[in-house]
Amino acid sequence: MMRPSANRLFYLALLLMILPAVAYGAPVTRSLSTAEPGAGEVFTVSLSVGDMPLGGVVETLPGGYTFAGTEHPDDRTLIQGQMIAFTVADEAVITYSVKAPASGSGDIVGVWEDFAAEAHGKIVPSHVAVDGVEVPEAGGSPPTDVQAASPLPLLTAIAGLFLAAHHRGGRR
Amino acid sequence: MKRPLLVIALLLIAAAVSATGIPGDADGNGILDEHEYRAAALTYLVGEGDLTRTDIQDAAWVLTHWDGRPLEITDSTGQTLTLTRPLRRVVTFSGEALETLRSLGFDMDKIVAVDKYSHEKTTFFPECAEKANVGSWLSPDMERILTLKPDAVFLYATITTATCDEIQQKLEAGIPGIRVLRFDCFKPATYPDEIRTIAAATGCEDRGDEFVAFYTSVMDRIRTETAGIPDDEKTRVYFEYWTDYKTFAAGSGYNEKLGIAGGYNPFGGESAEYPEIDPEAVIVSNPEVIVKLTGQQLAAGGYVGRDIAALEATRSAIIKRPGWTRLAGVDDDRVHVIHSDILGGAQHFIGTAYLAKWFYPDRFTDLDPNAIHQRYLTEFQGLDFNLAAEGAFVYP
Repeated sequence: MMRPSANRLFYLALLLMILPAVAYGAPVTRSLSTAEPGAGEVFTVSLSVGDMPLGGVVETLPGGYTFAGTEHPDDRTLIQGQMIAFTVADEAVITYSVKAPASGSGDIVGVWEDFAAEAHGKIVPSHVAVDGVEVPEAGGSPPTDVQAASPLPLLTAIAGLFLAAHHRGGRR
Repeated sequence: MKRPLLVIALLLIAAAVSATGIPGDADGNGILDEHEYRAAALTYLVGEGDLTRTDIQDAAWVLTHWDGRPLEITDSTGQTLTLTRPLRRVVTFSGEALETLRSLGFDMDKIVAVDKYSHEKTTFFPECAEKANVGSWLSPDMERILTLKPDAVFLYATITTATCDEIQQKLEAGIPGIRVLRFDCFKPATYPDEIRTIAAATGCEDRGDEFVAFYTSVMDRIRTETAGIPDDEKTRVYFEYWTDYKTFAAGSGYNEKLGIAGGYNPFGGESAEYPEIDPEAVIVSNPEVIVKLTGQQLAAGGYVGRDIAALEATRSAIIKRPGWTRLAGVDDDRVHVIHSDILGGAQHFIGTAYLAKWFYPDRFTDLDPNAIHQRYLTEFQGLDFNLAAEGAFVYP
Protein backbone atom coordinates (compact mmCIF):
# COMPACT_ATOMS: atom_id res chain seq x y z
CA MET A 1 0.00 0.00 0.00
CA MET A 2 1.31 3.44 -0.94
CA ARG A 3 1.89 6.10 1.67
CA PRO A 4 -0.32 9.24 1.34
CA SER A 5 2.39 11.49 -0.11
CA ALA A 6 3.55 8.83 -2.54
CA ASN A 7 -0.06 8.27 -3.44
CA ARG A 8 -0.49 11.95 -4.26
CA LEU A 9 2.66 11.94 -6.32
CA PHE A 10 1.47 8.90 -8.23
CA TYR A 11 -1.81 10.59 -9.12
CA LEU A 12 -0.04 13.83 -9.99
CA ALA A 13 2.28 11.96 -12.32
CA LEU A 14 -0.69 10.13 -13.80
CA LEU A 15 -2.46 13.44 -14.32
CA LEU A 16 0.58 14.91 -16.02
CA MET A 17 0.64 11.95 -18.37
CA ILE A 18 -3.05 12.14 -19.15
CA LEU A 19 -3.48 15.90 -19.37
CA PRO A 20 -1.61 16.49 -22.63
CA ALA A 21 -3.72 13.91 -24.44
CA VAL A 22 -6.90 15.40 -23.01
CA ALA A 23 -5.81 18.93 -23.85
CA TYR A 24 -4.99 17.95 -27.41
CA GLY A 25 -8.14 15.80 -27.59
CA ALA A 26 -6.85 14.38 -30.82
CA PRO A 27 -8.41 11.66 -32.87
CA VAL A 28 -4.91 11.31 -34.28
CA THR A 29 -2.14 9.73 -32.26
CA ARG A 30 1.48 9.17 -33.19
CA SER A 31 3.80 6.32 -32.37
CA LEU A 32 7.47 5.90 -33.24
CA SER A 33 9.38 2.73 -33.94
CA THR A 34 12.03 4.27 -31.72
CA ALA A 35 12.35 7.56 -29.91
CA GLU A 36 16.10 7.11 -29.67
CA PRO A 37 17.31 6.32 -33.17
CA GLY A 38 20.96 5.84 -33.92
CA ALA A 39 22.83 8.40 -35.97
CA GLY A 40 21.52 8.31 -39.53
CA GLU A 41 19.02 5.59 -38.68
CA VAL A 42 15.72 5.52 -40.49
CA PHE A 43 12.81 5.04 -38.14
CA THR A 44 9.08 4.75 -38.66
CA VAL A 45 6.38 7.14 -37.58
CA SER A 46 2.83 5.80 -37.49
CA LEU A 47 -0.18 8.06 -37.28
CA SER A 48 -3.35 6.39 -36.10
CA VAL A 49 -6.24 8.27 -37.55
CA GLY A 50 -9.74 7.91 -36.21
CA ASP A 51 -12.88 8.07 -38.26
CA MET A 52 -11.96 10.77 -40.75
CA PRO A 53 -13.44 10.45 -44.24
CA LEU A 54 -11.89 13.68 -45.52
CA GLY A 55 -9.14 15.28 -43.55
CA GLY A 56 -5.48 16.03 -43.33
CA VAL A 57 -2.44 15.78 -41.09
CA VAL A 58 0.61 18.01 -41.06
CA GLU A 59 3.74 16.79 -39.31
CA THR A 60 6.73 18.97 -38.59
CA LEU A 61 10.06 17.29 -37.97
CA PRO A 62 12.78 18.67 -35.69
CA GLY A 63 15.69 20.37 -37.42
CA GLY A 64 18.11 17.89 -38.94
CA TYR A 65 15.59 15.09 -39.19
CA THR A 66 14.52 14.41 -42.77
CA PHE A 67 11.56 12.76 -44.40
CA ALA A 68 12.62 9.40 -45.87
CA GLY A 69 9.49 8.10 -47.55
CA THR A 70 5.94 6.87 -47.15
CA GLU A 71 3.56 4.34 -48.55
CA HIS A 72 0.89 7.04 -48.62
CA PRO A 73 -0.02 7.90 -52.23
CA ASP A 74 2.16 10.52 -53.90
CA ASP A 75 -0.69 12.80 -54.85
CA ARG A 76 -1.85 12.88 -51.24
CA THR A 77 1.48 13.76 -49.74
CA LEU A 78 3.29 17.07 -49.83
CA ILE A 79 6.69 17.92 -48.38
CA GLN A 80 7.47 21.53 -47.59
CA GLY A 81 10.73 21.98 -45.70
CA GLN A 82 10.34 20.19 -42.37
CA MET A 83 6.59 19.86 -42.92
CA ILE A 84 4.96 16.75 -44.30
CA ALA A 85 1.30 17.05 -45.24
CA PHE A 86 -0.99 14.11 -45.85
CA THR A 87 -4.57 14.16 -46.94
CA VAL A 88 -6.67 11.57 -45.17
CA ALA A 89 -9.48 9.62 -46.79
CA ASP A 90 -10.67 7.00 -44.33
CA GLU A 91 -7.22 5.54 -43.67
CA ALA A 92 -6.78 4.00 -40.23
CA VAL A 93 -3.02 4.48 -40.22
CA ILE A 94 -0.53 6.62 -42.12
CA THR A 95 3.06 5.57 -41.89
CA TYR A 96 6.16 7.46 -42.94
CA SER A 97 9.89 7.15 -42.43
CA VAL A 98 12.27 9.67 -40.98
CA LYS A 99 16.03 9.68 -41.17
CA ALA A 100 17.76 10.79 -38.01
CA PRO A 101 20.65 13.22 -38.19
CA ALA A 102 24.10 12.44 -36.86
CA SER A 103 22.93 14.01 -33.64
CA GLY A 104 20.10 16.03 -32.31
CA SER A 105 16.88 15.97 -30.39
CA GLY A 106 13.52 17.66 -30.61
CA ASP A 107 9.80 17.13 -30.93
CA ILE A 108 7.85 15.87 -33.86
CA VAL A 109 4.75 18.03 -33.74
CA GLY A 110 1.61 17.76 -35.76
CA VAL A 111 -1.85 19.07 -36.40
CA TRP A 112 -4.91 17.40 -37.83
CA GLU A 113 -7.89 18.69 -39.73
CA ASP A 114 -11.14 16.82 -40.14
CA PHE A 115 -12.66 18.74 -43.03
CA ALA A 116 -15.86 16.71 -43.04
CA ALA A 117 -16.54 17.06 -39.32
CA GLU A 118 -15.19 20.62 -39.37
CA ALA A 119 -12.84 20.00 -36.49
CA HIS A 120 -9.13 20.43 -36.03
CA GLY A 121 -6.51 20.09 -33.35
CA LYS A 122 -2.98 19.21 -32.39
CA ILE A 123 -1.29 15.86 -32.11
CA VAL A 124 0.60 15.25 -28.90
CA PRO A 125 4.30 15.96 -29.63
CA SER A 126 6.70 13.02 -29.76
CA HIS A 127 10.21 13.56 -28.51
CA VAL A 128 13.11 12.08 -30.41
CA ALA A 129 16.78 12.18 -29.58
CA VAL A 130 19.60 10.50 -31.46
CA ASP A 131 20.94 7.79 -29.19
CA GLY A 132 18.85 9.28 -26.42
CA VAL A 133 21.18 12.22 -26.16
CA GLU A 134 19.52 15.61 -25.69
CA VAL A 135 20.88 18.40 -27.83
CA PRO A 136 19.29 21.84 -27.64
CA GLU A 137 19.53 22.47 -31.38
CA ALA A 138 19.50 19.42 -33.60
CA GLY A 139 22.07 19.48 -36.34
CA GLY A 140 24.11 17.32 -38.56
CA SER A 141 27.18 17.15 -36.38
CA PRO A 142 28.70 13.74 -35.71
CA PRO A 143 27.67 11.87 -32.55
CA THR A 144 31.13 12.24 -31.03
CA ASP A 145 30.66 16.03 -30.81
CA VAL A 146 27.52 15.71 -28.80
CA GLN A 147 27.71 16.25 -25.11
CA ALA A 148 25.44 14.20 -23.00
CA ALA A 149 22.38 16.15 -21.98
CA SER A 150 22.36 17.13 -18.35
CA PRO A 151 19.90 15.14 -16.26
CA LEU A 152 19.66 18.11 -13.89
CA PRO A 153 16.42 19.60 -15.25
CA LEU A 154 14.65 16.28 -15.02
CA LEU A 155 15.95 15.62 -11.52
CA THR A 156 14.94 19.13 -10.48
CA ALA A 157 11.45 18.59 -11.83
CA ILE A 158 11.05 15.28 -9.99
CA ALA A 159 12.33 16.82 -6.80
CA GLY A 160 9.87 19.67 -7.25
CA LEU A 161 7.00 17.24 -7.59
CA PHE A 162 8.05 15.45 -4.41
CA LEU A 163 8.27 18.72 -2.53
CA ALA A 164 4.93 19.93 -3.81
CA ALA A 165 3.23 16.72 -2.79
CA HIS A 166 4.86 16.76 0.63
CA HIS A 167 4.02 20.41 1.19
CA ARG A 168 0.34 19.94 0.29
CA GLY A 169 0.16 16.92 2.50
CA GLY A 170 1.61 18.86 5.46
CA ARG A 171 -1.05 21.52 5.31
CA ARG A 172 -3.88 19.10 5.76
CA MET B 1 13.01 17.55 -51.13
CA LYS B 2 10.51 15.04 -52.33
CA ARG B 3 8.70 15.59 -55.58
CA PRO B 4 9.51 19.27 -56.15
CA LEU B 5 7.58 19.27 -59.40
CA LEU B 6 4.48 18.08 -57.57
CA VAL B 7 4.80 20.96 -55.13
CA ILE B 8 5.01 23.51 -57.92
CA ALA B 9 2.11 21.90 -59.75
CA LEU B 10 -0.08 21.92 -56.65
CA LEU B 11 0.67 25.54 -55.93
CA LEU B 12 -0.18 26.51 -59.49
CA ILE B 13 -3.43 24.56 -59.36
CA ALA B 14 -4.43 26.03 -56.02
CA ALA B 15 -3.75 29.54 -57.27
CA ALA B 16 -6.44 29.18 -59.89
CA VAL B 17 -9.56 29.21 -57.77
CA SER B 18 -12.94 30.34 -58.80
CA ALA B 19 -14.37 32.87 -56.38
CA THR B 20 -17.98 31.96 -57.01
CA GLY B 21 -17.82 28.29 -57.90
CA ILE B 22 -16.92 25.29 -55.84
CA PRO B 23 -13.76 26.07 -53.88
CA GLY B 24 -10.81 24.11 -55.20
CA ASP B 25 -12.27 23.71 -58.68
CA ALA B 26 -8.93 24.63 -60.21
CA ASP B 27 -9.74 24.08 -63.86
CA GLY B 28 -12.95 26.08 -63.53
CA ASN B 29 -15.08 23.44 -65.24
CA GLY B 30 -17.66 23.68 -62.46
CA ILE B 31 -16.85 20.25 -61.06
CA LEU B 32 -14.53 19.47 -58.20
CA ASP B 33 -12.81 16.17 -58.76
CA GLU B 34 -10.84 14.28 -56.14
CA HIS B 35 -7.52 15.30 -57.63
CA GLU B 36 -8.45 18.98 -57.38
CA TYR B 37 -9.70 18.51 -53.84
CA ARG B 38 -6.51 16.78 -52.73
CA ALA B 39 -4.36 19.45 -54.34
CA ALA B 40 -6.35 22.19 -52.65
CA ALA B 41 -6.28 20.42 -49.29
CA LEU B 42 -2.53 19.77 -49.40
CA THR B 43 -1.79 23.33 -50.41
CA TYR B 44 -3.91 24.61 -47.55
CA LEU B 45 -2.30 22.20 -45.08
CA VAL B 46 1.19 23.54 -45.77
CA GLY B 47 -0.03 27.11 -45.49
CA GLU B 48 0.12 28.01 -49.15
CA GLY B 49 -2.54 29.24 -51.55
CA ASP B 50 -5.53 31.45 -50.96
CA LEU B 51 -8.06 28.93 -49.75
CA THR B 52 -9.20 29.17 -46.16
CA ARG B 53 -10.12 26.35 -43.80
CA THR B 54 -13.78 27.05 -44.54
CA ASP B 55 -13.09 26.82 -48.27
CA ILE B 56 -11.54 23.38 -47.86
CA GLN B 57 -14.35 22.27 -45.55
CA ASP B 58 -16.84 23.44 -48.18
CA ALA B 59 -14.91 21.58 -50.88
CA ALA B 60 -14.96 18.41 -48.78
CA TRP B 61 -18.66 18.90 -48.16
CA VAL B 62 -19.48 19.32 -51.85
CA LEU B 63 -17.37 16.29 -52.70
CA THR B 64 -19.12 14.21 -50.04
CA HIS B 65 -22.70 15.28 -50.53
CA TRP B 66 -22.94 16.42 -54.15
CA ASP B 67 -20.23 14.30 -55.71
CA GLY B 68 -18.20 17.42 -56.41
CA ARG B 69 -20.87 18.97 -58.60
CA PRO B 70 -23.03 22.05 -58.14
CA LEU B 71 -26.53 21.24 -56.96
CA GLU B 72 -29.36 22.70 -58.95
CA ILE B 73 -32.61 22.94 -57.04
CA THR B 74 -36.02 24.34 -57.86
CA ASP B 75 -37.93 25.85 -54.99
CA SER B 76 -41.68 26.18 -54.61
CA THR B 77 -41.82 29.47 -56.51
CA GLY B 78 -40.29 27.72 -59.50
CA GLN B 79 -37.00 29.56 -59.30
CA THR B 80 -33.89 27.52 -59.92
CA LEU B 81 -30.84 27.97 -57.76
CA THR B 82 -27.40 26.56 -58.31
CA LEU B 83 -25.65 25.79 -55.05
CA THR B 84 -21.88 25.48 -55.01
CA ARG B 85 -21.33 25.53 -51.26
CA PRO B 86 -23.18 24.24 -48.21
CA LEU B 87 -25.49 26.47 -46.21
CA ARG B 88 -23.53 27.83 -43.25
CA ARG B 89 -25.30 30.97 -42.04
CA VAL B 90 -29.02 30.54 -42.39
CA VAL B 91 -31.87 32.92 -41.59
CA THR B 92 -35.41 31.55 -41.56
CA PHE B 93 -38.48 33.72 -41.99
CA SER B 94 -40.68 30.65 -41.93
CA GLY B 95 -41.26 28.58 -38.82
CA GLU B 96 -42.31 25.72 -41.07
CA ALA B 97 -38.99 25.74 -42.90
CA LEU B 98 -37.18 25.99 -39.57
CA GLU B 99 -39.09 22.99 -38.25
CA THR B 100 -38.41 21.05 -41.44
CA LEU B 101 -34.69 21.78 -41.15
CA ARG B 102 -34.78 20.36 -37.65
CA SER B 103 -36.69 17.29 -38.86
CA LEU B 104 -33.86 16.73 -41.33
CA GLY B 105 -31.21 16.90 -38.64
CA PHE B 106 -29.70 20.10 -40.00
CA ASP B 107 -27.13 21.57 -37.64
CA MET B 108 -29.22 24.20 -35.82
CA ASP B 109 -26.06 26.07 -34.87
CA LYS B 110 -25.89 27.12 -38.50
CA ILE B 111 -29.17 28.99 -38.13
CA VAL B 112 -28.09 32.47 -37.16
CA ALA B 113 -31.49 34.14 -36.96
CA VAL B 114 -35.17 33.29 -37.01
CA ASP B 115 -38.48 35.08 -37.49
CA LYS B 116 -40.15 36.66 -34.49
CA TYR B 117 -42.84 34.00 -34.19
CA SER B 118 -40.36 31.15 -34.03
CA HIS B 119 -38.32 33.21 -31.60
CA GLU B 120 -41.34 33.45 -29.30
CA LYS B 121 -41.99 29.69 -29.39
CA THR B 122 -39.48 28.91 -26.71
CA THR B 123 -41.06 25.57 -25.82
CA PHE B 124 -40.99 24.26 -29.36
CA PHE B 125 -37.81 25.99 -30.55
CA PRO B 126 -35.79 26.24 -27.33
CA GLU B 127 -32.52 26.44 -29.25
CA CYS B 128 -33.73 29.58 -31.03
CA ALA B 129 -34.37 31.68 -27.93
CA GLU B 130 -30.82 33.06 -28.03
CA LYS B 131 -30.65 33.49 -31.78
CA ALA B 132 -31.15 36.85 -33.48
CA ASN B 133 -34.73 37.87 -34.11
CA VAL B 134 -35.19 39.37 -37.58
CA GLY B 135 -38.87 40.21 -37.25
CA SER B 136 -41.61 38.70 -39.33
CA TRP B 137 -41.72 38.36 -43.08
CA LEU B 138 -44.41 41.03 -43.01
CA SER B 139 -42.12 43.44 -41.19
CA PRO B 140 -38.55 42.24 -41.57
CA ASP B 141 -35.62 43.87 -39.85
CA MET B 142 -33.51 44.16 -43.00
CA GLU B 143 -30.72 46.06 -41.31
CA ARG B 144 -30.30 43.28 -38.76
CA ILE B 145 -30.27 40.64 -41.47
CA LEU B 146 -27.59 42.44 -43.46
CA THR B 147 -25.34 42.72 -40.42
CA LEU B 148 -25.67 38.98 -39.79
CA LYS B 149 -24.26 38.25 -43.26
CA PRO B 150 -26.31 35.13 -43.92
CA ASP B 151 -25.50 32.96 -46.90
CA ALA B 152 -29.04 31.57 -47.15
CA VAL B 153 -32.50 32.81 -46.24
CA PHE B 154 -35.69 30.76 -46.16
CA LEU B 155 -38.89 32.55 -47.13
CA TYR B 156 -42.45 31.51 -47.91
CA ALA B 157 -43.27 30.63 -51.50
CA THR B 158 -46.98 31.15 -52.03
CA ILE B 159 -48.28 33.28 -49.19
CA THR B 160 -47.87 37.05 -49.11
CA THR B 161 -45.99 36.57 -52.34
CA ALA B 162 -45.45 40.25 -53.12
CA THR B 163 -43.97 40.90 -49.68
CA CYS B 164 -41.66 37.90 -49.92
CA ASP B 165 -40.63 38.93 -53.45
CA GLU B 166 -39.66 42.33 -52.10
CA ILE B 167 -37.63 40.82 -49.26
CA GLN B 168 -35.86 38.55 -51.74
CA GLN B 169 -34.97 41.48 -53.99
CA LYS B 170 -33.56 43.47 -51.08
CA LEU B 171 -31.53 40.51 -49.86
CA GLU B 172 -30.09 39.78 -53.28
CA ALA B 173 -29.20 43.43 -53.73
CA GLY B 174 -27.62 43.74 -50.29
CA ILE B 175 -25.75 40.45 -49.99
CA PRO B 176 -24.12 39.28 -53.22
CA GLY B 177 -24.25 35.52 -53.63
CA ILE B 178 -26.96 34.98 -51.02
CA ARG B 179 -29.25 32.02 -51.64
CA VAL B 180 -32.93 32.83 -51.08
CA LEU B 181 -34.90 29.60 -50.84
CA ARG B 182 -38.66 29.73 -50.85
CA PHE B 183 -40.79 26.91 -49.55
CA ASP B 184 -44.18 26.69 -47.85
CA CYS B 185 -43.78 23.46 -45.88
CA PHE B 186 -47.43 23.43 -44.87
CA LYS B 187 -49.21 22.12 -47.97
CA PRO B 188 -49.71 18.38 -48.34
CA ALA B 189 -49.45 18.56 -52.13
CA THR B 190 -45.96 20.04 -52.09
CA TYR B 191 -44.49 19.12 -48.72
CA PRO B 192 -42.84 15.77 -49.63
CA ASP B 193 -41.03 17.37 -52.58
CA GLU B 194 -40.07 20.32 -50.43
CA ILE B 195 -38.61 18.00 -47.80
CA ARG B 196 -36.53 16.22 -50.46
CA THR B 197 -35.32 19.48 -51.98
CA ILE B 198 -34.34 21.00 -48.64
CA ALA B 199 -32.69 17.71 -47.69
CA ALA B 200 -30.62 17.78 -50.87
CA ALA B 201 -29.66 21.42 -50.34
CA THR B 202 -28.50 20.69 -46.81
CA GLY B 203 -26.86 17.32 -47.42
CA CYS B 204 -29.45 15.55 -45.28
CA GLU B 205 -30.73 13.20 -47.98
CA ASP B 206 -30.86 10.05 -45.85
CA ARG B 207 -32.75 11.75 -43.09
CA GLY B 208 -34.98 13.35 -45.72
CA ASP B 209 -35.89 9.93 -47.07
CA GLU B 210 -36.74 8.73 -43.56
CA PHE B 211 -38.88 11.74 -42.85
CA VAL B 212 -40.71 11.58 -46.19
CA ALA B 213 -41.39 7.89 -45.58
CA PHE B 214 -42.84 8.67 -42.16
CA TYR B 215 -44.89 11.59 -43.46
CA THR B 216 -46.28 9.76 -46.48
CA SER B 217 -47.07 6.64 -44.45
CA VAL B 218 -49.54 8.75 -42.50
CA MET B 219 -50.93 10.78 -45.37
CA ASP B 220 -51.16 7.87 -47.80
CA ARG B 221 -52.96 5.77 -45.20
CA ILE B 222 -55.58 8.50 -44.93
CA ARG B 223 -55.77 9.19 -48.66
CA THR B 224 -56.15 5.50 -49.52
CA GLU B 225 -59.01 5.11 -47.07
CA THR B 226 -60.92 8.23 -48.06
CA ALA B 227 -60.32 8.07 -51.81
CA GLY B 228 -63.07 5.54 -52.36
CA ILE B 229 -65.78 7.42 -50.48
CA PRO B 230 -68.36 8.81 -52.89
CA ASP B 231 -68.86 12.57 -52.62
CA ASP B 232 -72.45 12.18 -51.47
CA GLU B 233 -71.32 9.93 -48.63
CA LYS B 234 -68.55 12.17 -47.36
CA THR B 235 -68.87 13.60 -43.90
CA ARG B 236 -70.22 17.16 -44.03
CA VAL B 237 -67.93 19.41 -41.97
CA TYR B 238 -68.08 22.97 -40.81
CA PHE B 239 -64.54 24.00 -40.01
CA GLU B 240 -64.23 27.34 -38.31
CA TYR B 241 -61.04 29.34 -38.34
CA TRP B 242 -59.75 31.30 -35.32
CA THR B 243 -62.29 34.05 -36.01
CA ASP B 244 -65.95 33.25 -35.46
CA TYR B 245 -67.81 32.28 -38.63
CA LYS B 246 -64.68 32.52 -40.72
CA THR B 247 -63.98 29.34 -42.64
CA PHE B 248 -61.89 28.39 -45.64
CA ALA B 249 -62.56 27.42 -49.23
CA ALA B 250 -60.78 25.81 -52.16
CA GLY B 251 -57.19 26.96 -52.58
CA SER B 252 -56.41 27.16 -48.89
CA GLY B 253 -54.11 24.69 -47.18
CA TYR B 254 -56.76 23.88 -44.59
CA ASN B 255 -59.28 22.93 -47.27
CA GLU B 256 -56.74 20.60 -48.82
CA LYS B 257 -56.23 18.83 -45.49
CA LEU B 258 -59.97 18.59 -44.88
CA GLY B 259 -60.37 17.05 -48.32
CA ILE B 260 -57.64 14.48 -47.72
CA ALA B 261 -59.35 13.49 -44.49
CA GLY B 262 -62.49 12.85 -46.53
CA GLY B 263 -64.50 15.81 -45.32
CA TYR B 264 -66.99 17.68 -47.43
CA ASN B 265 -66.78 21.43 -47.00
CA PRO B 266 -70.16 23.01 -47.84
CA PHE B 267 -68.39 26.36 -48.20
CA GLY B 268 -65.55 25.09 -50.35
CA GLY B 269 -66.88 26.91 -53.39
CA GLU B 270 -66.72 30.40 -51.89
CA SER B 271 -64.65 32.84 -53.91
CA ALA B 272 -62.42 33.94 -51.05
CA GLU B 273 -59.90 31.48 -49.58
CA TYR B 274 -60.98 32.45 -46.07
CA PRO B 275 -64.60 33.64 -46.38
CA GLU B 276 -66.82 34.85 -43.57
CA ILE B 277 -70.02 32.87 -43.47
CA ASP B 278 -73.50 34.03 -42.52
CA PRO B 279 -74.40 32.24 -39.23
CA GLU B 280 -77.70 31.19 -40.75
CA ALA B 281 -75.84 29.49 -43.63
CA VAL B 282 -73.97 27.33 -41.16
CA ILE B 283 -77.22 26.20 -39.61
CA VAL B 284 -78.70 25.50 -43.02
CA SER B 285 -75.65 23.39 -43.97
CA ASN B 286 -76.29 21.24 -40.88
CA PRO B 287 -72.74 19.89 -40.54
CA GLU B 288 -72.25 16.37 -39.21
CA VAL B 289 -68.92 17.35 -37.69
CA ILE B 290 -67.84 20.75 -36.40
CA VAL B 291 -64.19 21.60 -35.97
CA LYS B 292 -62.97 24.80 -34.37
CA LEU B 293 -59.39 25.98 -34.79
CA THR B 294 -57.63 27.45 -31.78
CA GLY B 295 -54.13 28.69 -31.03
CA GLN B 296 -54.10 32.24 -32.37
CA GLN B 297 -51.12 34.29 -31.15
CA LEU B 298 -49.77 31.63 -28.83
CA ALA B 299 -53.09 31.47 -26.99
CA ALA B 300 -54.05 28.56 -24.81
CA GLY B 301 -52.90 25.08 -25.58
CA GLY B 302 -50.52 23.82 -28.19
CA TYR B 303 -46.94 23.58 -27.00
CA VAL B 304 -47.36 26.59 -24.72
CA GLY B 305 -49.07 24.71 -21.92
CA ARG B 306 -51.45 21.97 -20.92
CA ASP B 307 -54.50 24.19 -20.81
CA ILE B 308 -57.16 21.66 -21.70
CA ALA B 309 -59.78 23.71 -19.87
CA ALA B 310 -59.31 26.50 -22.41
CA LEU B 311 -59.98 24.13 -25.29
CA GLU B 312 -62.99 22.77 -23.45
CA ALA B 313 -64.28 26.32 -22.92
CA THR B 314 -63.90 27.04 -26.63
CA ARG B 315 -65.97 23.97 -27.44
CA SER B 316 -68.66 24.85 -24.89
CA ALA B 317 -69.01 28.35 -26.31
CA ILE B 318 -69.57 27.00 -29.81
CA ILE B 319 -72.25 24.59 -28.74
CA LYS B 320 -74.13 27.39 -27.01
CA ARG B 321 -74.44 29.49 -30.15
CA PRO B 322 -78.04 30.34 -31.09
CA GLY B 323 -79.65 27.58 -33.05
CA TRP B 324 -76.70 25.21 -32.87
CA THR B 325 -78.39 22.63 -30.69
CA ARG B 326 -80.27 21.61 -33.84
CA LEU B 327 -77.07 20.83 -35.75
CA ALA B 328 -76.33 17.16 -36.37
CA GLY B 329 -72.73 17.60 -35.19
CA VAL B 330 -73.83 19.06 -31.85
CA ASP B 331 -76.61 16.55 -31.43
CA ASP B 332 -74.21 13.65 -32.09
CA ASP B 333 -71.52 15.14 -29.86
CA ARG B 334 -69.11 15.50 -32.79
CA VAL B 335 -67.75 18.96 -32.03
CA HIS B 336 -63.97 19.14 -31.80
CA VAL B 337 -61.35 21.75 -31.09
CA ILE B 338 -57.94 21.48 -32.72
CA HIS B 339 -54.86 23.61 -32.18
CA SER B 340 -53.27 25.20 -35.20
CA ASP B 341 -49.86 23.92 -34.11
CA ILE B 342 -50.75 20.50 -35.51
CA LEU B 343 -52.77 21.50 -38.54
CA GLY B 344 -51.61 24.79 -39.96
CA GLY B 345 -47.90 24.24 -40.41
CA ALA B 346 -45.39 21.49 -40.96
CA GLN B 347 -47.26 19.23 -38.51
CA HIS B 348 -50.40 19.25 -40.64
CA PHE B 349 -50.19 15.49 -41.11
CA ILE B 350 -50.85 15.04 -37.39
CA GLY B 351 -53.91 17.28 -37.50
CA THR B 352 -55.10 15.60 -40.69
CA ALA B 353 -54.93 12.26 -38.90
CA TYR B 354 -57.17 13.65 -36.15
CA LEU B 355 -59.63 14.98 -38.75
CA ALA B 356 -59.78 11.61 -40.51
CA LYS B 357 -60.38 9.86 -37.22
CA TRP B 358 -63.17 12.30 -36.30
CA PHE B 359 -64.80 12.14 -39.73
CA TYR B 360 -64.63 8.33 -40.06
CA PRO B 361 -64.02 6.70 -36.69
CA ASP B 362 -64.94 3.25 -38.01
CA ARG B 363 -62.53 3.44 -40.94
CA PHE B 364 -59.57 4.60 -38.88
CA THR B 365 -59.72 2.46 -35.78
CA ASP B 366 -56.02 1.62 -36.20
CA LEU B 367 -54.92 5.22 -36.73
CA ASP B 368 -53.36 6.72 -33.59
CA PRO B 369 -52.72 10.46 -34.14
CA ASN B 370 -51.31 10.87 -30.65
CA ALA B 371 -48.71 8.15 -31.30
CA ILE B 372 -47.83 9.75 -34.65
CA HIS B 373 -47.44 13.08 -32.89
CA GLN B 374 -45.23 11.67 -30.15
CA ARG B 375 -43.01 9.85 -32.65
CA TYR B 376 -42.61 13.03 -34.67
CA LEU B 377 -41.59 15.05 -31.62
CA THR B 378 -39.20 12.46 -30.27
CA GLU B 379 -37.70 10.98 -33.41
CA PHE B 380 -37.70 13.85 -35.85
CA GLN B 381 -37.82 16.98 -33.75
CA GLY B 382 -35.56 15.65 -31.02
CA LEU B 383 -37.75 17.21 -28.35
CA ASP B 384 -38.16 15.86 -24.86
CA PHE B 385 -41.87 16.54 -24.84
CA ASN B 386 -44.27 14.05 -23.32
CA LEU B 387 -47.73 14.39 -24.80
CA ALA B 388 -49.22 12.44 -21.91
CA ALA B 389 -48.26 15.25 -19.55
CA GLU B 390 -47.57 18.33 -21.68
CA GLY B 391 -49.36 20.40 -24.26
CA ALA B 392 -53.00 20.51 -25.35
CA PHE B 393 -53.77 20.02 -29.01
CA VAL B 394 -57.26 18.59 -29.40
CA TYR B 395 -60.47 18.42 -27.42
CA PRO B 396 -62.03 16.03 -27.00
